[in-house]
Amino acid sequence: MVAPEYYLLLAAAVFCIGLFGVLTRRNALYFLMSVELMLNAANINFVAFSSYYGDLTGQVFALFVIALAAAEVAIGIGIILVLYRNFGVTDVTVPREMRW
Amino acid sequence: MIIEALIAFTFVSAMAVLLAPDEWAGRLAFALSLVPFLGSLFLWARFDGSGNALTGGELAFETQIDWIDVGGYTIQWFVGLDGISLPLVVLTAFLVPLAIVSAWTPIDERQSQFYGLILFMEANLIGVFAALDFFAWFVFWEAVLLPMYFLIGVWGGPRRKYAAIKFFVYTNAASLVMFLGFMALVFSLPVETFGLPEVTQSIAAGELGSFYGIPAETIGLVSFVAMFAGFAVKVPMVPVHTWLPDAHVEAPTPASVLLAGVLLKMGTYALLRFNFTMLPEQASALAVPIAALAVISVIYGAMLALAQQDLKRIVAYSSVSSMGYVILGLIAFTVYGVGGATFQMVAHGLISGLMFMAVGVIYNATHTRMVTDMSGLADRMPVAVWILVAGAFAYMGLPLMAGFAGEFYVFVGSFGSPVANGLMPVFTALAMFGIVIVAGYLLFAMQRTLFGPFRLDTDYELGRAPRRETLPLAALLVAIIVLGIAPDLFFEMIREAVVPVVEGGVN
Amino acid sequence: MVDAFAYVPAIVVLPFVSFLVALAFGKYLPKGGAFGGIAATAGSFLLSLWVLATVAGGGQHTETLYTWVSTDGIAAGIGPQEIELTFGVLIDPLSALMLVIVTLIATLVHVFSLGYMNDEGERDLPRYYAGLGLFTASMLGFVVADNLLMAFMFFELVGLCSYLLIGFHFREPGPPSAAKKAFLVTRFGDYFFLIGVVAVFATFGTASFVGSESFPVLAEHALNGEFDAWTPFGLDVGTWFTAVGLLVLGGAIGKSAQFPLHTWLPDAMEGPTPVSALIHAATMVAAGVYLVARMYGFYVLTPTTMAIIAFVGGFTALFAATMGLVKEELKQVLAYSTISQYGYMMLALGAGGYVAAVFHLMTHAFFKALLFLGAGAVIIAMHHEENMWEMGGLKEKLPVTYWTFVAGSLALAGIFPFAGFWSKDEILYEALVHGLNEPLLLGAWAMGLLAVPVTAFYTFRMVFLTFHGEPRTDTARDPHPIRWNVKGPLTVLGVLAVVSGAVNMVPVQKVLGLEGIDFLHLWLDGHYGGFSELTSHHYADLGPYSSGYIAGGEIPTVLIGAGVSLALALGGLGLAWKLYNVPEPAEHTAALGGIKTVLYNNYYQDELQVRIAQVTAGVASVADTFDQGVIDGVVNGVSSVSLVSGDRIRRVQTGVVTHYAALLTLGVTGLILVLGVLGGWFL
Repeated sequence: MVAPEYYLLLAAAVFCIGLFGVLTRRNALYFLMSVELMLNAANINFVAFSSYYGDLTGQVFALFVIALAAAEVAIGIGIILVLYRNFGVTDVTVPREMRW
Repeated sequence: MIIEALIAFTFVSAMAVLLAPDEWAGRLAFALSLVPFLGSLFLWARFDGSGNALTGGELAFETQIDWIDVGGYTIQWFVGLDGISLPLVVLTAFLVPLAIVSAWTPIDERQSQFYGLILFMEANLIGVFAALDFFAWFVFWEAVLLPMYFLIGVWGGPRRKYAAIKFFVYTNAASLVMFLGFMALVFSLPVETFGLPEVTQSIAAGELGSFYGIPAETIGLVSFVAMFAGFAVKVPMVPVHTWLPDAHVEAPTPASVLLAGVLLKMGTYALLRFNFTMLPEQASALAVPIAALAVISVIYGAMLALAQQDLKRIVAYSSVSSMGYVILGLIAFTVYGVGGATFQMVAHGLISGLMFMAVGVIYNATHTRMVTDMSGLADRMPVAVWILVAGAFAYMGLPLMAGFAGEFYVFVGSFGSPVANGLMPVFTALAMFGIVIVAGYLLFAMQRTLFGPFRLDTDYELGRAPRRETLPLAALLVAIIVLGIAPDLFFEMIREAVVPVVEGGVN
Repeated sequence: MVDAFAYVPAIVVLPFVSFLVALAFGKYLPKGGAFGGIAATAGSFLLSLWVLATVAGGGQHTETLYTWVSTDGIAAGIGPQEIELTFGVLIDPLSALMLVIVTLIATLVHVFSLGYMNDEGERDLPRYYAGLGLFTASMLGFVVADNLLMAFMFFELVGLCSYLLIGFHFREPGPPSAAKKAFLVTRFGDYFFLIGVVAVFATFGTASFVGSESFPVLAEHALNGEFDAWTPFGLDVGTWFTAVGLLVLGGAIGKSAQFPLHTWLPDAMEGPTPVSALIHAATMVAAGVYLVARMYGFYVLTPTTMAIIAFVGGFTALFAATMGLVKEELKQVLAYSTISQYGYMMLALGAGGYVAAVFHLMTHAFFKALLFLGAGAVIIAMHHEENMWEMGGLKEKLPVTYWTFVAGSLALAGIFPFAGFWSKDEILYEALVHGLNEPLLLGAWAMGLLAVPVTAFYTFRMVFLTFHGEPRTDTARDPHPIRWNVKGPLTVLGVLAVVSGAVNMVPVQKVLGLEGIDFLHLWLDGHYGGFSELTSHHYADLGPYSSGYIAGGEIPTVLIGAGVSLALALGGLGLAWKLYNVPEPAEHTAALGGIKTVLYNNYYQDELQVRIAQVTAGVASVADTFDQGVIDGVVNGVSSVSLVSGDRIRRVQTGVVTHYAALLTLGVTGLILVLGVLGGWFL
């Protein structure tokens, strides 16, 4: 059995890559992908601990997260489409109307 | 299960009225609101409780089942009535149908929503008075604010948004303070539920411990002050009263009736339940400042009423004054004092309801509430005016009317009370001067508006008030006189319920 | 045998029923419900006579009828003391006598109202008769009350009724204002009364008037040290009882229109004249004096209170009489005479003359009712003109009114042998013999004596201006005729004003040594029936006074006292005769110079009270400004601070989603670091 530290390191690495993507990329599609990476980092943790403790709850939760990610992508793509229609770009820093 | 049935029925009624068309929403709401009223009369007739609900007395119509488990605490569905809560439930159920009838004339838009909100509020009000678990109680307590916010904000006068937001934010912030105070108390106790009786009895057994290193005495004192401050806003006491006149002036008549008649009593009821029953020692220790605040509320509120030109503002400020008597009675820790305060809650509910309704009737006819705009109305609308005069005298504490009974018990109870280092006679005598000032401003207002040669500065034809407007007034007047002549209808059960409170305070 | 006492509640309830009937069905009844009122009060009168006869036959009665707040099973009280609040009746010689007086006058006023209100075509008659019924019922309830709380409650109801009746003509500006003033000024007195009631409950645990557990008896025991009474602030019982007595006295001063709370009464003349008669003779104003008499056993225990009562009474008697000198309106003169006469009664009570006070209460009730109804008859005749300078020469036109009015005036002036002479003389005698050792009391006596000629003067100034001389206006030349319903009550009261002094001819008894003709003394002393702790000799035993005599004995004192007061009265009468009993009388008041203005303006008492009201209103408006500005200002300030700070802080929201993400990341990192440091990771 692989020690959980390795899973955790992997998850942390994936998460950081995702975070880096969110913070630096301007293109909305990159944004979505980065978020997906972060969610999956969490999934890795869930599954790792589930297997470590022998408790299925974590795996069930991972399934939930996958479903959630799918829903999120669906809505996210929808938002990007609207964004493109209204502003002609997929750059997330351009639309600034949603403040105050 | 009768209480649950009443609450549930009222919620369902609210839904039904909400969906009904405007043409007959008012009549439907009235018919449906009679059911809780009859139900409350049934509760009254079959009432078999004894003692105080919080100190281990026999509850009437009790239900206690576990509901939710959170963090080592069990939240219960726990309702029941004792001699303190039953009169208030009856008061609520009696006032709501009358308030609905009084809405028939002035409310002419979004009627189904209006009546639906009133019924929704009634259900929550019954819940507030019946609930004995903090969680359920708090949900009802907060849920009462919501319909009132909309009643003022949607159907109110010109400054309705300001008044509604002020009302909501002020009382909600107060709820937060109170909530923190109560939670600090619970977390310092070895209890496993939020049930109010468990908390009370645990404190009475001396189990209040330290919390994060803060000693028990400090916890008790801080909790008392926090809860007192929170409830004082609702009462309201000076100096946290300023939301009340604005809310009353902008609120439509039926909302004013319920606001003054029942919502203010939530504050004094909670003070009695939480502060004075749970923490009598802290209350006795703080008796001097509390009694002083009560006296200031009475005199200052009455002086403010004296300066007003708007009939509704006059009645609103006089509520501040009257609720000061309640606080004075509560702090006295005598059977007459605490019992009289409870009785005064009911009496003031009826009388201020009558006054607001009568001012509403005048407003419906004249479209003004300014004292300077009218004179001699008694000539044109005699029935309504004479009932208003009777109500004003009830407010002044005319004997054989409910207001006198409540005030007199409070005075008797507080005058000889041993708390406050023997200063209570002085506080009582000062507070009693309120009965002169209240006579002053009501008599002045009546002389200028109701009597003298007829004059009206607004362009409306003035005739007799329609019967559907005067009948609710008459019903209230009858109730006031009946309670004034036979106060033992309520006062007997109230006394029984307050004896343990008093004993807690004396020891 | 049927027991008269079983019907005592009916005495109170009958007028109340007439109130309900007049209110509910008055507009369908003939004469606006007047007959119902007459029947009810006449019924009460007959029952009262029966009760009086039963008391004369050796009866007395006290009974609790209704428990307002019970204590069964539940300890209701203040600390250890249980307090039960009840309604009951107390029939003793005093209340039986008062019942008869009140019901008699109420009946006559009802009859008179047929002439004054119905025949004059007034509107809203049901309201009028309802008010009269409720007024009578409240006063009767007050009279039979067996405890202080019940007395207070009916006392207040009397106040309400006076408000409703004084303000009867509410469509004019004057009456509502006068009604408001009457209620407010008496309410101010009642404030002290209410504190007194509460204090009595706190001190004794009971407010009963009669019985071994009644508060006067307990107070007596407390002073002897046999009863442990509660007192606040560790006061000794004597001081505290004085304070309580003075507090209750506040109510009596307000209702009986004693200085300084007398100002409402002249204004109350705005009410219909029969109502004035009722208020002055039998109901409202009498209530204050009756209250003091009712709990006299408590007052006699505290000498300070007694002295204050006497002094207030003596001062009021003189003070009000001087104001009556210059009034131009018939009813105004009578109003000030009422204040003055009730001052005499207070003087008597304070001087230990319990019987004298009750005696004067009775004779005054008859002659003052007579004078008011007579004034009412004149007002009918004069088409509601009340200024005496517009009258004159009515003597021939209104013979019945004239002769009865003169009888009443002679009684009021205290001329032998009319009723007022006997009672006023006895008051002055009591004050004198008890006052020889008490300087304060002697001062009160001197003021009372000084008021005698003044009273006689203004009374006969009124009579001469109204009835004698030449008619000064067309109305006076051709007055409106009056009917039986006016003449009847006048005649009854006229006879009583002449003869009612005969029930208590103490000077005659003392001088001639005829035992047993001082019926009222025997009556109030429980010789026929009564409670031993409510008898006049019991009060005399408790009282602080001892008797002293001038000129070497009792009989010379009696004769000198009576002679002096009679001479002074005749002097006042003679002066009035000389100045005003001429065909064309002139105003001689100008001779008073600046004093006249002061008197005419009632010593600026009303201005003072208006000023007080204005100051109060000023304080109220300052409080309002403070409330709106400072207290509500703080509330609004808090909300503006949150709004402004929110306005600043929201600039963090740039709308760029990347910034949000960065903030989020920084926040989480910061949180982890803080928690980590606190949790000890890096240590």
